[in-house]
Amino acid sequence: MKATLIIINHNGRHLLETSLPAAVAAARCAGDHPVMVSDDASTDDSLLFVSKSFPAVRFLALPKAGFGAACNAGAAAAETELAVILNNDVVVSEDFLPPLLESLSQPNVFAVGCKFLNPDGSLTHALGNRTSGEWRKGLLYLHHETDPEMLTETCPQLYPNGGGMAFWCDKWRQLGGLDPLYHPIYWEDVDLGYRAWGRGWRVLYEPRSIVYHDQGSTMGRLHRPWRIELISAKNAVLFAWKNLLDPKLFRRLLCEQVRWAADDIVIGGLPPRTRALWTAARQLRQAARSRAQEQRERIVSDQEILARSRGESA
Amino acid sequence: MSGPNHTVLLLTFARRGEESAIREALALLSHSFPDAAVFAVATPVSAASLELLGVADLVIFDHTRSARRVLAEAARRKPRAAAIVYSGARPEGHLKLEFVALRSGAGRIYRCLSEGSPELVGRVHLLGSVLWKAVLTCGHLVAAAGICCAAFCWLRVAQLLAGGRRASGT
Repeated sequence: MKATLIIINHNGRHLLETSLPAAVAAARCAGDHPVMVSDDASTDDSLLFVSKSFPAVRFLALPKAGFGAACNAGAAAAETELAVILNNDVVVSEDFLPPLLESLSQPNVFAVGCKFLNPDGSLTHALGNRTSGEWRKGLLYLHHETDPEMLTETCPQLYPNGGGMAFWCDKWRQLGGLDPLYHPIYWEDVDLGYRAWGRGWRVLYEPRSIVYHDQGSTMGRLHRPWRIELISAKNAVLFAWKNLLDPKLFRRLLCEQVRWAADDIVIGGLPPRTRALWTAARQLRQAARSRAQEQRERIVSDQEILARSRGESA
Repeated sequence: MSGPNHTVLLLTFARRGEESAIREALALLSHSFPDAAVFAVATPVSAASLELLGVADLVIFDHTRSARRVLAEAARRKPRAAAIVYSGARPEGHLKLEFVALRSGAGRIYRCLSEGSPELVGRVHLLGSVLWKAVLTCGHLVAAAGICCAAFCWLRVAQLLAGGRRASGT
């Protein structure tokens, strides 16, 4: 089976200089898998660099629409059964692909996430490894495992980090890909994983597929820290509004969100919570549409999704 | 444990980036009150960071201890001074810590911002700040309640109209 390696890029020519050769080498090493750059309206010379240095790599030039739209366009353009999405700041190891494909062939699996290491090979504050979640204080609190001993075996996880994940293209299309509700970025991969579990599919973590991620090298360049915090908090609220279908939990969650907003003054610091709620409210209509869609498609309850993603039940 | 009037109080959430302001606050307290022991009101999260910075005497503020008991404990020790560490360049938020500083009865209260040197703040000034922030908190609660009520109605109606309901129950 072939998989298309899709690198998501926005003004990241300097990042592509490192990440693209590694992806091309890994694709060749695993049996000549196609490689594509899905470009979110770069204004630097990314196109020139790719077309000159890697003529065999397909360059998908897109209008400016954000990370999720670039992923969706890349997945739609893939002509293979499987696809692997990679951030332009993710450098893959040469043998990262075969274990991903092997895990994808397990029954009922939708997606498999890579093992994310810092560029120096450490796991300190590394995000995206063996992810799990818990509904608490009005939001889904995410946990990223950083204990090396817990990251040795293929196992279930809540969502595959959007920076490096493999998936079945047909299931991706059934899910509708990444939801534009989360524009410009953050939480769309959590949403994807949550919805996949909700449909009875599985998401796995594959520690043999090692990638190196220079976290924040793109977002840190494009936005100020407070803006990143605001986007992330807004999307955390929207995620809860869209996905928490259990009526009792949902009522409790909204009450907690009210209290959460008061923490702006009582505690302070980032993110500005009331502003996050207000920003999220401006997308309420869109969130309601997504929630209705989720209500129609969901076959697994909220609690069961979290339990299954921790490997606690069948 | 230090007796009354031989303590000074450090108030901080010990967030990332506050390390230098905490060090400055500790230096100020130990310089101004060399014979006094430092104690801090901390959360379970901030306790570890404070211990790393050399503050061992901690009153932990968590679910096992009510806010009233923590306030009583801080007041019982009658600190000679209190230093509040803020996360930013302006004294925003931190209503909780300002309230503890006021209720502790500390003779002198300092504000330590992430930029600039610590400044002495009068009790009346701090009381004004606490009252203003309490009003602001009420405003935030009202705004958030409005948003969440609207969200609840709209989202629940959308969910009910969508049908399905195969997995919505607990």
